[in-house]
Amino acid sequence: MIRHIRVLLAAHLRDERRAGEVGLVIIPFGLVALLVIPMAVGIDTPLLDRIGPGLFWAVLVLFGTVVTQRQSATEGDARRDLFTLLGVDPAARFAAAALAGTILLTVFAVVVGSVTMVLYDPTIPGAAWLALIVPLACAGIAMVGTLAAAVAGGLGTRSSLAPLLVVPISVPILLAAAQATEGLRAGAGILRWILLLAVVDVVLALAGVLTARPLEES
Amino acid sequence: MIKPLDVAAGSVLVTALVLGLVVPPDAVQGDLQRIMYVHVPSAWLAYLSFGLTLVFGVAYLRTRRIRWDHLAGASAEVGVVFTGLALVTGSIWGKPVWGVWWTWDARLVLTAVMFFVYLGYLALRRAFEDPEVRARRASVYGIVAVAQIPLVHFSVVWWRGLHQPPTVLRPGDPQIDGPLLAALLAAVFAFTVVYAALVSRRAEVARLEDLAAALPADGAVAGAGISAPPIVGGGR
Repeated sequence: MIRHIRVLLAAHLRDERRAGEVGLVIIPFGLVALLVIPMAVGIDTPLLDRIGPGLFWAVLVLFGTVVTQRQSATEGDARRDLFTLLGVDPAARFAAAALAGTILLTVFAVVVGSVTMVLYDPTIPGAAWLALIVPLACAGIAMVGTLAAAVAGGLGTRSSLAPLLVVPISVPILLAAAQATEGLRAGAGILRWILLLAVVDVVLALAGVLTARPLEES
Repeated sequence: MIKPLDVAAGSVLVTALVLGLVVPPDAVQGDLQRIMYVHVPSAWLAYLSFGLTLVFGVAYLRTRRIRWDHLAGASAEVGVVFTGLALVTGSIWGKPVWGVWWTWDARLVLTAVMFFVYLGYLALRRAFEDPEVRARRASVYGIVAVAQIPLVHFSVVWWRGLHQPPTVLRPGDPQIDGPLLAALLAAVFAFTVVYAALVSRRAEVARLEDLAAALPADGAVAGAGISAPPIVGGGR
């Protein structure tokens, strides 16, 4: 199973390297969102400093949906049947897709987060904690997105339906990540928010693995 | 045809509404508090219906009996209606008490989010024509979606906000006067019976919809009166 996950993960990342959808399309689109928002709320530097981290998390959740749905375009009945005939465990396919989503989302978060720091100049003491918070949040969003891609797979309305399925369910992740960041800024405890992120990730991982087989049935 | 459950639902609902109108008003809020006899049972039904959507979904995945999926879909539909009712009645109560129709309180925001999670669930169900595929996919989404319920319930504990903490479902004795609690419990019971009646009806309609969708479409529309013209002579 581990070998299947490794091979499938490499395939997902190879697809991304060839297509460049995250690096060349979704990341620039996310950066445009960061530039547009100050024009909408007004060029108020203290205000932008205050809302910068929150905007980063909102952009991550909203654009994370696009990142996690990109792989569903290449998934089809033929590929699924091929993997079934090859004896690939559906849980391994879920794990590989979720891991690929996590890696790509983390790359997205690092680039967009760096630009947020430059544009909005927020003050975040103890920013090293973000090295834990960001991957946890990205893993959660990636798993929700992978599950949504699986349940909406094969539908013509997939691209419009997926955001409605992913974004509301990602709200606990957004809340925990945003509250943890605010906790860093206020010098308050953030362990309970990190714990909430970890619990959400574990629950999603269990749900993804346990429901992978029913979703694969044709 | 009217079922005994429909009659029971109507009877207990009328009784609960009358009880809600005759009990003494709240010492602080006066008659305004009576809206709680609709708001609280609606919020309870939101939890119950989405929790049962999960239970029915799991039952479907285990047994593959489509009846469970009909019940899951019906429960989610009724749950969305009652979640909407809880949001609207809460807003109507909030305007005179809090001074605003809406405030960024964790309980309110997360309840609205739960409303949209289950709207997504219903949209997902509508997107599939094949009942088996719809049942499988919706069951899985229903399992993931149920995580919203504890989040909504405990939001008043985890975040400080305007919404009051639990009054009845809390450790220790309920913080509500006896007659008011009796009226509230009667309303909760009545709404639960109404929920059962609505889900039963809606699941039956879903079963009939699936039967109708399985009927052959040609024959029923044009019959044998229209047929393709015969091709005479073949190609060149």
